[in-house]
Amino acid sequence: MMRMRNTPIDVSVAVNYCAEGRRHIFVHGFFLSVIGASLMFSTVLGHGQSTDARAVAASDVLQAQVQLVVGGQSIKNNSKGTLSIVGSSLQLEADGKKVSVEASSILDISTDKDSRQDITGTAHLATEAIPYGGSRVLSLFSHQVDVLTVEFRDTNGAYHGAVFAMAKGKAAPFKTQLVALGAKTTVPPTGQTPDTK
Amino acid sequence: MRHHSRAVNSVALSLILCCTLILMAGHLAGQQSSGESKSPQKFSASSIQIEVPDPGDVPLPTEFRVAVYENLIRQIEKTGKFQHVYRSGDKDAVNVPDLVTLRTKARAFTEGSQKKREVTTVMGATSLTVNVRITDHAGQSIVDRDIKGRVLMMGENIGATYDFSKKVAKIIRDTF
Repeated sequence: MMRMRNTPIDVSVAVNYCAEGRRHIFVHGFFLSVIGASLMFSTVLGHGQSTDARAVAASDVLQAQVQLVVGGQSIKNNSKGTLSIVGSSLQLEADGKKVSVEASSILDISTDKDSRQDITGTAHLATEAIPYGGSRVLSLFSHQVDVLTVEFRDTNGAYHGAVFAMAKGKAAPFKTQLVALGAKTTVPPTGQTPDTK
Repeated sequence: MRHHSRAVNSVALSLILCCTLILMAGHLAGQQSSGESKSPQKFSASSIQIEVPDPGDVPLPTEFRVAVYENLIRQIEKTGKFQHVYRSGDKDAVNVPDLVTLRTKARAFTEGSQKKREVTTVMGATSLTVNVRITDHAGQSIVDRDIKGRVLMMGENIGATYDFSKKVAKIIRDTF
């Protein structure tokens, strides 16, 4: 009869081996999850940062203290307030009231510089010949301000106009942003082709 | 003596006659001029529509055109002569039977100087001449006049648009 010897098997090695493997997997997994999470968070943070940066940039450019010269409907002429772009609308807040105009309903948006360019720019020679002092360009204000003029139609098709006076250099960014949001203009911002009314 | 008194009487009579004639002529002239300034006939209409100003040949900047328009709307509303003051393009105005329409066309302007106005109070006036035409529903002319808006002493050039619209409001009061 064959003698069978029950050789004791040292399972501790195997157990240790398994434990070692699990630890490796755990370490690898942990490592991978850390990298994954960091990548994920970096994307989210990056996105958040860019959105914030855009929001900051937008609020820097598209908000200004203005004087409503004329055409504020419920807001009195010569009221001082804040003009801003909210969503796709131009919004004036003054005297505790808000008036907003959807960019797509704007028929024409212009600055005082556009008016001068429109009149004296390419047609300068022609305007020289206009009688009754027509070659000179009438300006609304004698002091140095930017003037932003917005012409639009309401939901009933009625024409409205509004004129705002603001600090030098503030009007053009409003115009550029509103044109990007769908407002029409006869004198396009630099580098764009004119829209038809 | 009698001869002398007769002469005095005739001189006095002729003087009285002259004075009467002068007074009568003045009165007639006054009547005529007031007849010219005020419309002899009053019109009635429930609503008015105001069209966007036509710059014509005058290089009128957009902000001026808009200021003229918005001031006109406000001043005509203030007259209280109409139940509705419709803006250009308002769909509700289409079915109004007795609607009158106000059209404006720029004729000329003179640019003044605020500084000159403030210093001299005589020079530097800005003026804006605009033709005002009001027609009835059939297209017949009710008013067709050139109105001058001016800013004489203090104030910005925009004051000319306000002055113009006040004058148009007066015409509206006199006509309706």
